[in-house]
Amino acid sequence: MSAGALIKTALRQGAAAFAVLAYLTLVGLPARLAESALSVFSALAAALFFLLLRRAPSAGAGTSIVQGMLGGLVLGMCTVGMVGGLAALVGSGVRVQQVLDKMTPPNLAAWFGVPPIAITRSQLGALELLRPALALALAGGVGGALAALSRARLSLSLGDPLRWAAIALPFLLLGLVIAMGDAGFPLGGSNRGTLRLLLAMLAIASGMFALRATRAGLEQRGVAGALLIGVAALPFTLDQFQNAVMGIVFIFVMMGLGLNIVVGYAGLLDLGYVAFFAIGAYAYAFLSAPFSSPWFSQQLAQLGLPTTQPLLSFWQAIPLIMLLGALGGVMLGVPVLRLRGDYLAIVTLGFGEIIRLFMLNLADLTNGPRGLLNIAAPTLFGYNLGNPRDIFILALVGSAVIAFVALRLERSRIGRAWMAMREDEEAAQAMGIHLVRAKLLAFAIGATFAALAGQLYAARQVNIFPDNFSLFVSIDALALIIVGGMGSIPGVVLGAIALKGLPEVLRGVDEYRIVTFAALLVIMMIVRPAGVLPTTRRRGE
Amino acid sequence: MYAGERQGDIVALISRALSAARQGGAGMRIARRMLGMLLIAAVIVRAISVSATENYPLSFWASQVANGLVLGGVYALVALGYTLVYGILLMINFAHGEVMMIGGVAGFFGLQIASALGLLSGSPLEVVVGLLLVLAFGMGIAALTGVTLERVAYRPLRNAPRLVPLISAIGASLFLQYSVLLIFGVRPMVYQRPSLIADGMRIGAVFIPYTGLIIFLTSLMLMGALFVIVQRTRLGRAMRAVAADKDAAALMGVDVNQIIAFTFLLGSALAGAAGVMLGFHNAVIKFNSGFIPGLKAFTAAVLGGIGNIPGAMVGALVLGLAESLGPSALGIPAEYRDIIAFSVLVLVLIFRPAGLLGEAVVEKRA
Repeated sequence: MSAGALIKTALRQGAAAFAVLAYLTLVGLPARLAESALSVFSALAAALFFLLLRRAPSAGAGTSIVQGMLGGLVLGMCTVGMVGGLAALVGSGVRVQQVLDKMTPPNLAAWFGVPPIAITRSQLGALELLRPALALALAGGVGGALAALSRARLSLSLGDPLRWAAIALPFLLLGLVIAMGDAGFPLGGSNRGTLRLLLAMLAIASGMFALRATRAGLEQRGVAGALLIGVAALPFTLDQFQNAVMGIVFIFVMMGLGLNIVVGYAGLLDLGYVAFFAIGAYAYAFLSAPFSSPWFSQQLAQLGLPTTQPLLSFWQAIPLIMLLGALGGVMLGVPVLRLRGDYLAIVTLGFGEIIRLFMLNLADLTNGPRGLLNIAAPTLFGYNLGNPRDIFILALVGSAVIAFVALRLERSRIGRAWMAMREDEEAAQAMGIHLVRAKLLAFAIGATFAALAGQLYAARQVNIFPDNFSLFVSIDALALIIVGGMGSIPGVVLGAIALKGLPEVLRGVDEYRIVTFAALLVIMMIVRPAGVLPTTRRRGE
Repeated sequence: MYAGERQGDIVALISRALSAARQGGAGMRIARRMLGMLLIAAVIVRAISVSATENYPLSFWASQVANGLVLGGVYALVALGYTLVYGILLMINFAHGEVMMIGGVAGFFGLQIASALGLLSGSPLEVVVGLLLVLAFGMGIAALTGVTLERVAYRPLRNAPRLVPLISAIGASLFLQYSVLLIFGVRPMVYQRPSLIADGMRIGAVFIPYTGLIIFLTSLMLMGALFVIVQRTRLGRAMRAVAADKDAAALMGVDVNQIIAFTFLLGSALAGAAGVMLGFHNAVIKFNSGFIPGLKAFTAAVLGGIGNIPGAMVGALVLGLAESLGPSALGIPAEYRDIIAFSVLVLVLIFRPAGLLGEAVVEKRA
């Protein structure tokens, strides 16, 4: 490669990597990472150059490394230019923070490995300025070397031993989680609780991969059964906070499984799915706490019914709520029958917003932003099931039942009809599929599951407010099935853990949650549109 | 007269329904039309009964109309971006509202710089130059954002199934919103109007703020400029060729990637201008200021017939008027004005998916 081309590529790739690092600096990540900022960013730079150089046309290892180093040098110079410039501004008393919220002295200092006071007094030496540039250039070289290595095609074949190791992993992790319940178990130290929660999530997630590694048939069923037993043991060993987190994760699994039917199986992009979640939650709230809705309690009083106690218990309410959910699904489904793809997405989004605005503004019925309060917990034979552990168990049972129904539906006639419709509506219709029926069924069934999830959610929260049902619930539910792999049931569980569970473990990065997942959506679509655990059918494509 | 026409229409419809009774599809369509007309009739009846009881003065309606036209002008600029991109890529650029918001944010900083340079308190000529610079700055940054967005989030997905770019667009929309929140903080950015245009004028009892007038006129001028670019220039001809048939255009020597990038540039620049105007109109820009106006502009584009440039302008003006007149005409609280826009969207998609001026692209391509 000529020197000119080398430099041109280096400039382009260095600028691309700089865009990423500059963004991360602007959102304030260095301050969070503190002293490890430079090493983390160097590793990130190495990864970026690995990705950029991986696809390079067959160049020698030397060229690749030189290319990476040159790119890294460009990146380093740009970064030092930007961060150093900002540091100089801050040092000379310009109030940069008025404009760029996160450009605090600690944030800038983290890049150079100096105490923040050095920035405010503008005591940056040339050596400190040089260090990030050198580190990033080296990181570029490492990335180039890695890229050259990967081109050497180290092929790993998944042999049988590895397969069994993958299957055994979740059980090992589950065992570890249970063992950690014993106070004498020497692991974790001060972060013990968090570590345990993380391990529990990893156990379930790796269980999903294990299911994928099994051979269909008896082996798969056996492993699935054993996993189910293992996971069912979790609520009894985890503590209250851990159970609460897992409870919300599995409520989202219930919801994700429902949305998976609408989006994953039938290919109907629904961005207002939260509406059905809200219908379930509010319906249960009206039934179990009629006193907190002014209009509703007035009507009941006129009918001579008591308003101070629940009308129906949790269990009695289930059929009614399923019916309401299905009705809501059909009511949304009928008008949008003719719409496809993007139009459907926008209309459903509008529908979800309309429901939320009504909840907010129909103060007589929904008590407006003050919400519905004191929703009754489920009870069984006199036992109150409102504590986190029992809610987790209920969510697990609900998820298992819904997953079973979804699995049976997937392999049924209507399931195959949905998938045919997803791939090509005209062709499906020509094959004799009744599109109206198939679509309405998908909407109705998906909405039913969401309403059930909403009911459990209301029982868990005790008090619900319109803000609990914002657009972001829809986006979360959609993101989790996309991350996991559209149409894939294990993918839903994995996605729920990744999207709802991990942020709880990684407290303190909550600020970056939405940005991270938004970026993840875009990257997933470009790199792996079928998701982490794609369905077998999709893997075949 | 209006009602009489409608009745005649209904009679014709019924006779056609009888003659086509055996065809299920036609019967369904006619049922849908009758439902639509019933809805229109219900809205008219409601409006008449409300206006009979409320008795608003004429000047009230006039100022609402003026307000609606201003809003409509802003929506039109954003709607044009949706329509341009849809016409070429057949995808909804879900992040377009965010591009507008970024234009507004850039405009805010442009305004700060301009006022720091003393441009906004000087002679009228200086103020005009300053405001034009602010507008150009907002448009430039928004155009840059739009082109980057296309390059990073949409171009790699051009041949993917339709759901994939849409999800990517949703991701991009959230990403832009929350990046602005993280980078610039939660403080709302307050647009200070230069004293020259802070006032307004009176026509009889109707008060029209100068900003509203300027916004409306500027948006008309920008729309005219867009029309000239699309209809009269070489690039515009290439755009129309790509919209009609990408492959054939490529065979004729049109650089399709370049034309798509140019389309994003045009649409985003208009959105940036809308963002700056919205900043002046609402006095405040926040990280989520683009979302709802973006949705409404999309509604406007659909209302006029998506992919149709004059349609977007007409749809936006109709929507702006419906939104400002609707709450008082129908006697519902003003908080429901967002619901009006969404309901219009849902109803248009159900009853007339091709829009007011649209060709029937929806059923064919969507």
